[in-house]
Amino acid sequence: MKIRGVLIEDTFAEAFTMRAARVVITGATPHWAMAAALKLTGFATSVIGCKCEAGIERELGSGETPDGRPGVSALFMTMSKDELPKRLIERIGQTVLTCPTTACFDGLPQAPDRVGVGSALRFFGDGFQASKVIAGERFWRIPVMEGEFLVQEKFGMLKAVGGGNFLILGASAEAALAAAEAAVEAMAGLEGIILPFPGGVVRSGSKVGSRRSKTMIASTNDAYCPTLRAVTRTALPDGVNSVLEIVINGLDAAAVSRAMRAGIAAACREGVIAISAGNYGGKLGPHHFHLRRIMADQA
Amino acid sequence: MRGEIALTLRAPLDRPVDASELGLTRAAELGAGEIARRTVRVAGAGPVPLGELFEVRGGGPGAERVRFAGDLGQVEGLGAGWEAGELLIEGDVGRMVGARMKGGRIEVRGRAGWGAGLDMAGGVLEIRGDAGPRAGGAPLGAKRGMSGGEILIRGSAGPEAGAAMRRGLVVVAGDAAEGAGRGTIAGTVVVFGAVGPAPGQWSKRGTIVALGPVEPGPTYRYTCTYRPEYLVLLLKHLAERRGVPAAARYLSGSYRRYSGDLAELGAGEILAWTPS
Repeated sequence: MKIRGVLIEDTFAEAFTMRAARVVITGATPHWAMAAALKLTGFATSVIGCKCEAGIERELGSGETPDGRPGVSALFMTMSKDELPKRLIERIGQTVLTCPTTACFDGLPQAPDRVGVGSALRFFGDGFQASKVIAGERFWRIPVMEGEFLVQEKFGMLKAVGGGNFLILGASAEAALAAAEAAVEAMAGLEGIILPFPGGVVRSGSKVGSRRSKTMIASTNDAYCPTLRAVTRTALPDGVNSVLEIVINGLDAAAVSRAMRAGIAAACREGVIAISAGNYGGKLGPHHFHLRRIMADQA
Repeated sequence: MRGEIALTLRAPLDRPVDASELGLTRAAELGAGEIARRTVRVAGAGPVPLGELFEVRGGGPGAERVRFAGDLGQVEGLGAGWEAGELLIEGDVGRMVGARMKGGRIEVRGRAGWGAGLDMAGGVLEIRGDAGPRAGGAPLGAKRGMSGGEILIRGSAGPEAGAAMRRGLVVVAGDAAEGAGRGTIAGTVVVFGAVGPAPGQWSKRGTIVALGPVEPGPTYRYTCTYRPEYLVLLLKHLAERRGVPAAARYLSGSYRRYSGDLAELGAGEILAWTPS
């Protein structure tokens, strides 16, 4: 299969089941909502080193938020349901509670599983905190020097999909980067997904384990490193001189699939030789995204 | 309405009727015949079958609403312990309507007497007219009153609305007489009109939101003027789900916060809207 001359390899992306929350941050202005969201989702590229994966889903207009102020929606994902509340509590506590004018709400009100967040953060109020129940939901009012920080007591938790991906195999670093940027732009703002890596792009895809160390759980994906073509079992076709990866986490497989389709379509441009995907032979992750099925009607 | 039980008063009532032991707590519970056989206590006459006072029609499985028609100003304790479905009272109703209510919805299209929603635990009680004293309050002598649910009074409220409430919400679209939120343990009283003397007196916690004129008592102390974010959620909830719209100035405006009652725990507050 080829799209605009770019080979779509007959392979699949292998993704994992994660636990997800959607955090809605509002602020007096879009600037302050975004300031908190950027800190909240910082250093959250991969569970390998960050304990969680997070990203900004989209900006919200004042008509879309619980308190009628501008906001930002962010998705948070961890590998286990026990990890999710821990990460939410420490991150919201350090980045949203501290940020001027912001309030923090659950963005998955229909999710049956609920994890306590405001119920833990309230203790920062040192006994001066107060709660209010509105429409069946409890909110905590934590007194702070600015005034009051409002945070919802519980956040919804869903099973989600982490690690959807595709690889852009470029003839040059410039071509691969331009294609990756186009793919990210095409996926930006799609509901239910995040691209947790910097600018949505990964240059250092990893393989499981290490050749040299038994304690490392991941190391460079040498099969896709152009500089190692001559010294390893390369997966690179001739002419490929740079590879970039787009990792997509989503609230469900359909959202990941939609995003991959939009991203791959945008990445198929001049200077790109092939689109591939990372997998582990199908043995580790339950979600398999076959590139050619996703792009079936695009060729 | 599909599945409605309609009870129409046969003749005007000339003496108090106690319906608090009627045992009618959900719309889909009983058929017309069974309801008609249930008894209420009529002052000076003892137990009287409901069917002697009301013409009963409809009912049975799937009933979604019980509707009372007529002037029920003499009827006490109607809807006591109401749990599910809708109870519609088309005229005035007497004391303690919806007392100990747990769920569902009660609508009074006229006025309600003393103690509407007394000791209420859940559900929504809407009173289109005025409410008498102690709406959403505690029974006399009890330490705790309302523990959940919402009372919407579209008219004005008598003295001691929300007295000793533990949780829940009392909304007064008109004015609230003296002692609103007296002795509250928690919960919220919202008054769109004027708030009478001594609001929140002896309250431990709880909130009185005053959108109209209010004069906090001497045991309340001014703390700051700010915009409580949660109040926007509350007012949006009232506008969108309860049909009680608040003007934009209340959503975007500032509130003077008074802490009190400092003669008690002092964790309560009066939030008084202030023009900017």
